[in-house]
Amino acid sequence: MKSLRLRARRRIVDNAALLALGAIALSLMGGYLLTFGHLLLRGGHHLVAFSKTPVPLSGSQGETGMRVALAAVYGASLSWALLRLGRPLIDRSIASGWLERSRTRLLIIGASALLAALFLRDHLPPFLISLPRETATGGGIGPQLFNSVYLAVLSTAVTFPLGLGAAIYLVYFARSRALVRSARVALDALASLPSIVYGLFGFLVFVVKMRAGYSLWAGACILALLNLPLVVGIIEENLRALPRDLTEASLSLGATTTQTILRVALPSSWPGIVSAMVLAIGRVFAESAPLIMTAGTTIARNKAYSLDPMRGGETLAVHLWYLGSAGIAKDRAELSAGTAATLIVLVLLTNLLASRVARAGQSGGKRLAKMTR
Amino acid sequence: MSQSMEVAVTLDRQTPRRAFRPHDIAFRAFATACGLLAIVAAISLLAFLMHAGLEALSEIGLFSMLTGSRWRPEAGIFGGLPLIFGTVASAVGAMLLGALPAVLAAIWVMGLGPRGLLPAFRRAMELASALPSVVYGWLALEHLVPRMGAFAAFIYPGRAEMSGEGLLTSAVLLAVMIAPTVALLSIDALSKIPAGLREASAALGASAWQTAFRVVVPHAKAGLIAAIFFGFARAAGETMAVQMVIGGARTLPETAFSPTTTISTQIVMDLQNARPGALESDALYAMALVLLMLSSSVVLATRLLRQRGSS
Repeated sequence: MKSLRLRARRRIVDNAALLALGAIALSLMGGYLLTFGHLLLRGGHHLVAFSKTPVPLSGSQGETGMRVALAAVYGASLSWALLRLGRPLIDRSIASGWLERSRTRLLIIGASALLAALFLRDHLPPFLISLPRETATGGGIGPQLFNSVYLAVLSTAVTFPLGLGAAIYLVYFARSRALVRSARVALDALASLPSIVYGLFGFLVFVVKMRAGYSLWAGACILALLNLPLVVGIIEENLRALPRDLTEASLSLGATTTQTILRVALPSSWPGIVSAMVLAIGRVFAESAPLIMTAGTTIARNKAYSLDPMRGGETLAVHLWYLGSAGIAKDRAELSAGTAATLIVLVLLTNLLASRVARAGQSGGKRLAKMTR
Repeated sequence: MSQSMEVAVTLDRQTPRRAFRPHDIAFRAFATACGLLAIVAAISLLAFLMHAGLEALSEIGLFSMLTGSRWRPEAGIFGGLPLIFGTVASAVGAMLLGALPAVLAAIWVMGLGPRGLLPAFRRAMELASALPSVVYGWLALEHLVPRMGAFAAFIYPGRAEMSGEGLLTSAVLLAVMIAPTVALLSIDALSKIPAGLREASAALGASAWQTAFRVVVPHAKAGLIAAIFFGFARAAGETMAVQMVIGGARTLPETAFSPTTTISTQIVMDLQNARPGALESDALYAMALVLLMLSSSVVLATRLLRQRGSS
């Protein structure tokens, strides 16, 4: 009797504790989702505030190209979203067979990108295409947006061959045990460094020793170094996860190691490679401390959209920090909200892309299915 | 006749002479060079840091650098204690406020809560951990700092320097920043437990609560502690977000609400003003070395734990 009562009491305590844990978990999850919603609602209107009158050009180099590209992205993503959302409708319609084909879908998306580039480019949200202002209100983040994307391209151009080569070396070519072990220790050491240390290193090497000043190129190299452990790790894991029969079949058919790697191993592990690159790009968008010390915090008015990698430039994340800690414009809270929303949209897009690619990899990928059939 | 000749020729072309093909050698050389570059980069990074940092350390002295309580580079006073204390204190605070709830939440989601919640929880945590740190910093500046200021004014009335920027604010901010990562790592650690263990425990009549805390958690202990330590290392290395809310006073904080500074914050703030090669700049490299020691010792401890857990 007594033990029964004890057990009942214990069950009550258990349940209360369970509820408490559940409350912690749910509030954690809800809190972050609310934060996301808040950020998007707070600053998102800047991203859709298309202007009725054409936004005047500021006269910096490459501005038209930037507008065309941005408008094309808007058009393409709009039509993609419509096709995606309208899928149940399309499935029921007569044209379903035609619209289901990926080539027609690509054609539609491409056409709307072209149309948007032609007609929308001067009516884009002014916030996204105008230059920042130091003191006056109404500044934009055009150059910062451009720099973020351009830096991602530059840093990927370094990370991709380097990471791929290092992973291939570790998986296929490494003969000496000592070298493999030291490469792994080096990558582990790089992975555990705080990002500020990368910044100091980049500052010392590029700005002080090479006297190159702040430059996008320095920032790209440092971010490539920062991303190297992540990229090598993911690619290596994917290469090792390939079924052995695949590479062995290729070798037994007389292909050389190089042919086997380039034509069999890499094509069939593309989802891992792509998602590694996408994750690396996400980190380029998010990182700020190393960039402040290598790429600087300034925007040159005449070269705001220039493709010259030796100029310095501020990215979106750096701009958000700058506004928060050193901004003096009166509308800086509003500007920060818009910058944060833009940054989040970029990060969300890369995140979405990464998970899609990873899903394609989980189901084996079309290519792998075709090859192993 | 000619046909058979051709077959012979193609076969000949395909016989493996692997070592002598120029493109094979080039490809192998390229891959090896990439592998070596990672080693060279890591070594040169550490060497550069050591070179500049040790120079400053030998000039200032390790003891006075670690225990001096005033950081005035412009006057030649380099006492790193406020910086080190700020780093450690805010990271420990973040660990208590952020990592522990995250681990508990992961335990709940991985076995106590409804099954269907796990993918959603994981997705939310992935998104939250991908959010740039400056965004968290800006959010804290906008929402957390005023509230902390009001709270501080309530506890310590009549002290004007407590504007809300300070040690506790940065600890809360760091807690929010590291919780998603810690939760994801804990979920990973918990999902590596063999399902048979859970099932055996349930079959013996244990409640879900008993299974979770007497079977699953002890089994995944190494992984969970590693997750918490990883959160600590990340919190200690965080720079820009902390810089936005910690206040930047270069002294030891009197109370939990007082503004202070951290190693990484001070590096970013002082590097712009310091002349390269001067003692002021080298002292920053020495502080970076200290930060490196701090975070790499934590990472090393994690690795040891993991090895012991796996063996």
